[in-house]
Amino acid sequence: MLGRVAHPAAALLAAALLAMPALAQTTSQPDAFTPVEEFSKQLEAFKKTIPDLNKKIEDSAAQVDRWTDVEKARKEIEELRGIVAAALGAVSDNGAVSELGNKALAHARTKLRTLEQDNRFKPEEKQFLVEQWRKLRDETERATEELGSARKEFTELLRTLQANEDFIDELMQVRQAQKALEVIQRLTKDIRDASDQLKKLIGAIKPPGV
Amino acid sequence: MRALALAAAGIALALAGCQPTVDVGYVEIKTVPATTNVTQPTLYLDTVKVESIKKGAAVLTQRVGTTKLATDGSGGQLTLCEIVVKKNRITTVMVSVQERPPRCQCRNAGTASRTCVS
Repeated sequence: MLGRVAHPAAALLAAALLAMPALAQTTSQPDAFTPVEEFSKQLEAFKKTIPDLNKKIEDSAAQVDRWTDVEKARKEIEELRGIVAAALGAVSDNGAVSELGNKALAHARTKLRTLEQDNRFKPEEKQFLVEQWRKLRDETERATEELGSARKEFTELLRTLQANEDFIDELMQVRQAQKALEVIQRLTKDIRDASDQLKKLIGAIKPPGV
Repeated sequence: MRALALAAAGIALALAGCQPTVDVGYVEIKTVPATTNVTQPTLYLDTVKVESIKKGAAVLTQRVGTTKLATDGSGGQLTLCEIVVKKNRITTVMVSVQERPPRCQCRNAGTASRTCVS
C-alpha cells in the first residue's frame, strides 16, 4: 500500500534529477536548484524508509494471530505506532519534507515566471529552459501530491493503530475488572460461608435448662 | 564541490531534524465543508498560524500537551477549542467553517467541554 505511494515519487525524482545537471550547465546560477534538489533528496531518503515500515507492518500482522499476551500485543502496537508516527512526522504539513516540497514548488513557479520574461537568451534556448522548468514544476507538483497521499495513508494507519491500542487497553481494563469481580465474589462467598457458620453456631446455642 | 558538501550537510541536518528531540504528536484539522464559497477562516494553533489547509485537511506535528485552536476575533484571537496532543498519537478536529465564529467538532471529545482528545 505504502510502496505504491513511493514508486511514482521515485520515478519523478529520477526524472527531476536527470533533468537537473543539464539545466545546471545552461544557467549561471547553480544555487538556484537547491530547493528542488533538496526536496528530491529528502523525498528519496524518506522513500527508503518505506520498505522497512512495510516489513515491520507485515511482521506484526503475521504475529497478530499469535497474540495471546495482551501486554505484549500492546507493546508491539506501541512500537509500531512510534514508527508510523515518525513517518507521518516527515510528511506532515509542517514537516521537513513537506515544507521543502512547498519551497521547491514555489521556486519552480517563480523561476518559470522569471524565465518567461527573460530576454537574455535566444528564443530556442529560452524555449528549452522554459520547457525544462515546466517539467520540473509539474513533477514537483505531482511529488507534493504524492506526499499528500502518503500523509493521508499514514494518518489512517496511525488512527487504526491507536484504535487497536485503545481496544487492547479497554480489554485489559475489562480483564482487571473481571479479576476484581472475582475477588469480590470470592469475598462475598467467604462472608456468606462465615455467616452460615455463625448462624449454625447461634442455632446450636441453647440456653441452659431448655 | 563545496556547494555539494554544503547541500549534503544541509540534508543531513534536515534529516536529523526529522527525528524530534521533544515528544510530539499530531493534530489533524479538517474544515467542513472542504470546499465552500465561504472565505476560509484563519486558524491558529497556540498563536502559530496554520498555513496550509489543502483540500480541507492539514496534519501538523505538534508538541505533546494541550494546545489551543483559535481564529481571528473582533478583540484578538478567539479560542475555538482545546486539543490534547499525546505522544505519537493523532487528534482530529473538524472545524465547521460556515458558522460564525467557526465551531470545533471533536472526533473524540474529552471530559472537559470543547476539548478534543486522540
